[in-house]
Formats: sequence, structure tokens, C-alpha cells
Amino acid sequence: MTQSGYTVTVAKDLADLIPSFMSNRRKELETLRTALAASDFEELRRLGHRMKGAGSSYGFDLVSTIGKTIEDAAKASDAATIGSNLDTYEDYLAKVEIVYE
Amino acid sequence: MSEAVARSRVMGLSSGFRVLVVDDDPDMSEFLAHMLRAEGMDATTATDGEEGIAKVHAEAPDLVLLDVMMPGLSGFEVCARLKSDEATAMVPIVLVTALDEPVRREELVARVKTLRRLHETRRELERRRLATEVENREAIRRAFSRYISPRLAERILEDDGADGELFSRRAQRVEVVALFADLRGFTSITERTEVVEVVAMLNEYFSILTDAAYHHDATIFNMAGDSLLVGFNVPFPQEDAAKRSYLTAEEMVSRFAPVATRWEQRYGVATGVGVGICMGEAILANVGSPHYTSYTIIGNPVNTAARLMQTAPANQVLMCRSVYDKISDLVPSNRVEPRGEVTLRGKEEPIAIYAARVVVPD
Repeated sequence: MTQSGYTVTVAKDLADLIPSFMSNRRKELETLRTALAASDFEELRRLGHRMKGAGSSYGFDLVSTIGKTIEDAAKASDAATIGSNLDTYEDYLAKVEIVYE
Repeated sequence: MSEAVARSRVMGLSSGFRVLVVDDDPDMSEFLAHMLRAEGMDATTATDGEEGIAKVHAEAPDLVLLDVMMPGLSGFEVCARLKSDEATAMVPIVLVTALDEPVRREELVARVKTLRRLHETRRELERRRLATEVENREAIRRAFSRYISPRLAERILEDDGADGELFSRRAQRVEVVALFADLRGFTSITERTEVVEVVAMLNEYFSILTDAAYHHDATIFNMAGDSLLVGFNVPFPQEDAAKRSYLTAEEMVSRFAPVATRWEQRYGVATGVGVGICMGEAILANVGSPHYTSYTIIGNPVNTAARLMQTAPANQVLMCRSVYDKISDLVPSNRVEPRGEVTLRGKEEPIAIYAARVVVPD
């Protein structure tokens, strides 16, 4: 366990794809913030759904978990839950450490 | 590049199986494509339904992995469009959904590999089926070529279906030109030569006659002793059947002439081909027992041609008037003479006979 508390183990053969994956996540966070500011729950639901699919596939289970929470909260127009999850997401993206094996 | 990808490229396997991944999330499509490439497959991606459909048309992939939830055209709609288009209906599609579960890597790879094996098995079966078909066709062609000219054999094979009746047991009444040819003077040679030699001589003689027959697309019906029966206008209509028959006769006679010269020098006996041709209605049928069947023509023109052949001297073509009328422009008048009349069985009117002398090279 590292200091951040966020460690992800990724299959070595996926290494080539990770930089693009991470950069897409950061852009995604921006898009999520914009959508939340505009109360665009449909867009939030769609983005959450997408996170759910991509996250675990690459080995980033927490991305999927946050994605599912955002998707469900967006259906209920629950801006507060989405806001707190976006903070968690931002923290995660800043601190996550990737171990290839 | 992963080891598996590198290995498959070195082995040239990467071009074997082509998969198109359609997903609106580039991370997902790249992820799926990456997995497939690691298994030695070729993978391309499309980011929405319209692009996916366009790429299926352009690239004709062996398999499509299709995301269900996409903005614009959904995976279901893309699937429906591909299945309703004849050009793309046969492309296998795997619908991928992130509705409840993240994509299980092993499971998806296993499914794709199964589909790939299925695809390869199907392709191999198709290849074998085609190979067998070509082989069968070749065997049929070879078998036919012993009776009819290779060109006719080819035509029969091409007419597949339409001519199921062509060689059926059902007899047909057809207009036919019958040509009989035999070898004058040969009997006296057989009396003074070895059997082995006689067979070789007959083979040489029949080779010339069948070559001449095939040259003009005749069908060979019978070979007995030293006589040969060929027909024209059967099994396919030949508008110029009479002309073909005369040209065949001429070619038989003139091409045999050098052989006759050689045989005369060797055995001291003059030989030569005599021909009888007659045309009229005959019956075309497979005749025989379940054990032995012969495809043959029966009727007056055949009998008459046989009688004409029997009386034709070497290097002469005897023909009935109806044949001569159609070929008169092929023979200079100084080489033709009328030879009286014969009465065909079952007919009251006798028919006139003409004899054409074939000029043979010295």
C-alpha cells in the first residue's frame, strides 16, 4: 500500500494504452464538472455509464464505482452526490499510482 | 508491442481474422482492439454507428464487436441495418454491453476466439467443398471427353440444370446427321500381321478419326471393328450440322492418307477411309440394361449412313441428297457424281445418293 491509498495493478500489455486512458479521464472530469454546473443530468448519466464500462476493463475499479454512483445519482437528479463523487474522482486521478505486472 | 502481437506478426497470422470494434468510447474500443491484436487478430475501430456501418462495407471484417449503448444509432439499430442489407447480413456481430458489468476480458476473448474458430472451420469447409466441386467437374469433363469434343463437354457442364434431361433415360426424337467411317482394305492386313501390331494400327487410325470428329464438334456414338459412328446436331443443335459432317469426312480421309501410304509401303496393301453420311429424324437415347448402357442414335439416317459407308470406296464420301444439297458449295462439281437411288426403309420415295471424291496429298 502506498501513501496515497490509490494503487492500481494493470496488465503489462496494456501499458501502451494507459497514458491516453489517463488523459481522457482528466478531460472527462472537466466535462463532468461543466455538465454538473449546467445541471445536465442526461450528460452526467451518459458519462457515468461510460466510466463504469471503461474503468474496470482497464483495471481501475474505482473509476467504475464512481461512474455507477454518478449514473444512478444523475437519474435521480441528485447534484450533491454527484458533486462529492467528482471531488473523490479528482483526488483519485491526482494521486493514483499504477503498477504494471 | 506485446509478445503475442510480435509473435503473430512474425508468423504472418495477424492478417488472418479481421475484427471491427464499434464503440463511442475510444478508451473502450482501443481496449478491445488491443485485446484482439494480442490474440493475433487484425482490429480496427469506429466511434459511432454510421462510421461502423461504413467500415463494415469498406473493410468486410470477419467479425464486428458492437457496443449497445451509443449516442446516435444504437448498437441494436446498427445490427438491424447490417442484417437487413444483403451485402453485410452474413457478417457475425457480437453485441457488447456495459449495462451491468464491465467487459470481462477473458470471457470476451474466449467468445471471439470461438467465433474465429467457427469462421475458420467454415472457410476451410467451403474451400474443400469448392476443391471437390472442381475435381468432380474435371472428372466429368474427362469422362465426357471420351465421347464428345472437349468443347461440347464444357458446354454441357456450363448448362448445368437446364440439361438434366440431356442424358436422361427419356428418349428423344431429333433431327440428326449421322456419319459412318471405316477402313477399306484393312481386313487383308489383319490376316497377315501380329495382333499387337493390329491394335497399334487401329489406335493410330481411330486417333485420326476421333481428332477430326472433335475438331468439328461431333459426338462419337459407336466404335466397332474399324468403323466409327459420329453424330451432329446432337446433343446440342448445330445449324451447320451437314457442313460440319462433310468437313469431318474430308478431314478423316485426308489426314489418314499419309498413314495409308506408310502402311502400303510396309504391308503392300492399299487402305483408305470410306465415309457415308445421311440426315433425318432419329431417336436419341440411352439404350441398354442396368449393367451396360450406351448413349446412341437409332433410325433410318443411321442405317442409311451405314449402308453408304459399306459401299464407299477408299477416299470417297457417299451422302444422301439432303446432305449434299447443304454442302454442295464445299465440293468442286468435278469431284462429285450422282450414284443412283436407294429406298429407305419405311419410306416410299427413294433418295438420291451423291459421291464426293476427296483429293488426298501424295
